[in-house]
Amino acid sequence: MFIADIRKDFYEVVANQRVVLLVAPDIDALCACKILQALFHCDQIQYTLVPVTGWQELGTAFLEHKEQFRYFVLINCGANVDLLEMLQPDDDSIFFICDTHRPVDVVNVYNDTQIKLLIKQDDDLSVPSYDDIFRDEDEEGEDSGNESDEGSEPSGKRRRFDEGAVERRIERQRAKREWEARRREILFDYEQYEYHGTSAAMMFFELAWVLTKDTKDMLWWAIIGLTDQWVHDKITNMKYVTDIATMQRHVSRHNHRNEDEENSLSIDCMRISFEYDLRLTLYQHWSLYESIYNSCYTSCSFKLWTLNGQKKLQEFLADMGLPLKQVRQKFNSMDMSIKENLRDVIEESSNKYGMKDIRIQTFGVHFGFKNRFLASDMVHATAALLESAEKDDSETDNFIKALDALSRSNIDRLHSGIALAKKKLIAIQQTVASCICTNLILSQGPFLYCYLMEGTPDVKLFSKPMALTLLCKYLLKSLCSFTHGVLDVEKGTVIVVGIPPESETSDKKNFFGRAFEKAAESTSSRTLHDHFDTSIIELKTEDRSKFLDALITLLS
Amino acid sequence: MNRHQDTEDQISPTKRSHHKDQEDGLRQVLQEMEALYEQNQSDVNEAKSEGRAKLIPSIKLRHCCLLRNQRCVTAYLYDRLLRIRALRWEYGSVLPANVRFHMCAEELQWFSQYKKSLASFMRSLGGNEGLDITQDMKPPKSLYIEVRCLKDHGEFEIDDGTVILLKKNSQHFLPRWKCEQLIRQGVLEHVVS
Repeated sequence: MFIADIRKDFYEVVANQRVVLLVAPDIDALCACKILQALFHCDQIQYTLVPVTGWQELGTAFLEHKEQFRYFVLINCGANVDLLEMLQPDDDSIFFICDTHRPVDVVNVYNDTQIKLLIKQDDDLSVPSYDDIFRDEDEEGEDSGNESDEGSEPSGKRRRFDEGAVERRIERQRAKREWEARRREILFDYEQYEYHGTSAAMMFFELAWVLTKDTKDMLWWAIIGLTDQWVHDKITNMKYVTDIATMQRHVSRHNHRNEDEENSLSIDCMRISFEYDLRLTLYQHWSLYESIYNSCYTSCSFKLWTLNGQKKLQEFLADMGLPLKQVRQKFNSMDMSIKENLRDVIEESSNKYGMKDIRIQTFGVHFGFKNRFLASDMVHATAALLESAEKDDSETDNFIKALDALSRSNIDRLHSGIALAKKKLIAIQQTVASCICTNLILSQGPFLYCYLMEGTPDVKLFSKPMALTLLCKYLLKSLCSFTHGVLDVEKGTVIVVGIPPESETSDKKNFFGRAFEKAAESTSSRTLHDHFDTSIIELKTEDRSKFLDALITLLS
Repeated sequence: MNRHQDTEDQISPTKRSHHKDQEDGLRQVLQEMEALYEQNQSDVNEAKSEGRAKLIPSIKLRHCCLLRNQRCVTAYLYDRLLRIRALRWEYGSVLPANVRFHMCAEELQWFSQYKKSLASFMRSLGGNEGLDITQDMKPPKSLYIEVRCLKDHGEFEIDDGTVILLKKNSQHFLPRWKCEQLIRQGVLEHVVS
């Protein structure tokens, strides 16, 4: 059921209890987790934090902790699946789910006792009404009761009553079949597309605000959570802009607190500011040229994998009057005169080249003299840390590293994350260029398909879901509906990611999740639907071709 | 010549893995002392009975060696005692088996007596309940701390009976006094954010 008052129904319930936090491996979940941890520290609520990377780990973690803990908080996992059936909990376990995955499973919505959804009820949900899906079973019992009563009547009347009863029964069965058919249709419509709702970090920030325990750190984490949804293309532009406006209100509220005092804040304090900044990834920590070359938006607009595109880029830079030497230097060492009007100059020139949205509303933070970061920088750095493909580190090690990088006291970790993110972006750019140039993208009926072979450089980097998704979206910018497979050599499996068609007004609804499930069923391919995003699965290499054939027939 | 080398080896830092060597070394020193003493004894008797004053310097030399050996051995044993005392503060009143293996019976007895006197001292402080001074060696900043588990440690019970499963890379928010022991042992790590 949906929680109406998050303070009363969630926070005060767990106030004196021990809680288990089960957190999914994406940046929004990490930020939400940090906010919740900070709140728990304030009020000394004891908790245990367990990172979970998929459904199996969720099940294991639940089994391990179910004896000792009653309250479970799931962050960015668990809403889109029938949780009670999957975990089989005892009656006194209570689950608080704050998940951006939609559609929320109908059982989770209508369960009154054990599942509490920390989701706003009007958050674009369109849940089918109760009567359309669930039907009381009592009516069946009444029928049989009536019939047995009638059986004791004398035989003459019985026959007449029996006929009446039989007719009624037939009528009821027909109504029931109709109802079931309608139910199947409603559920199919409801569940066929997968999309994302409001950021979990923003939900928890709102909780902190209601408790008036919100701090600038929490606000910054909420902003990072929102930006993560935008960077990984999980929400529409409209929603992003609306949410940015909400965050802007909070930012100005926090900033106004200190404006009246004569002595302004010390330079080491954190300042968050609204920026209408360039869409060039990591440009303040890199050189301008590299950033333009490796950002998805500019690279696709110029088509930098062609010679023509590269010439256009040179023209673009010349048009702005930026000397090549300056542009290839580290951003911090560029001439001040160039840096001052950079954003306006770039915006003007990019309009000429057809890039209308080179600037985007976002937030930046700075503390100390050296440390300036944009929200998207933080997202890329943390994502690179979370999915770094080092051999020695397990996934939970990476989770811990990424979690640490979000704290202000771990700037070194953040910088190492930025370095990893740069490598990742360069790898994506190169892979995209090679895919397009060597025509690795095949048209398979209703979708395009690209398969990265074993020997491709940086293929280990792309065996992680988020990096792979970024790669696909990058490729997609100039193409349409798409799936992508990457070989994971060790396990002999392929990770397949499905991306919906790209358009200006796309509502980011992804139908590949259901399509994958059905295709797997029909061909009995050995698949593993372990990720919380249903559009990412693992598939045995041998089954690849028949799976694809099934997918083609399904979608055409 | 007199084997001072033995005592030199002895006083070098006692690594627990050289337990056997230490025991042998100690025995060698004691044997050396015995040998010296025997020699001195016979020389003194000779000097007394035959009046050979020329033996006096060598007797004096051996005596000095004996005294030095004695000082070295007692210094070593005393150092061991100091370390054993520190073990009480580090590990608590129950020593892990691998540490106990390296202690001899008398040392164990000394340890239990030290434990008893520390306990009676702690009981005498702080009114009726006594005060556990082995907790909070540094002034605490908060009641609960966040800790991260560095290795799998299995189940861990806290005061009200709940059992926490300490798995690698899980984080917990627990009362400080329960975590201190494990932090010292290196199972948990205090996370400062």
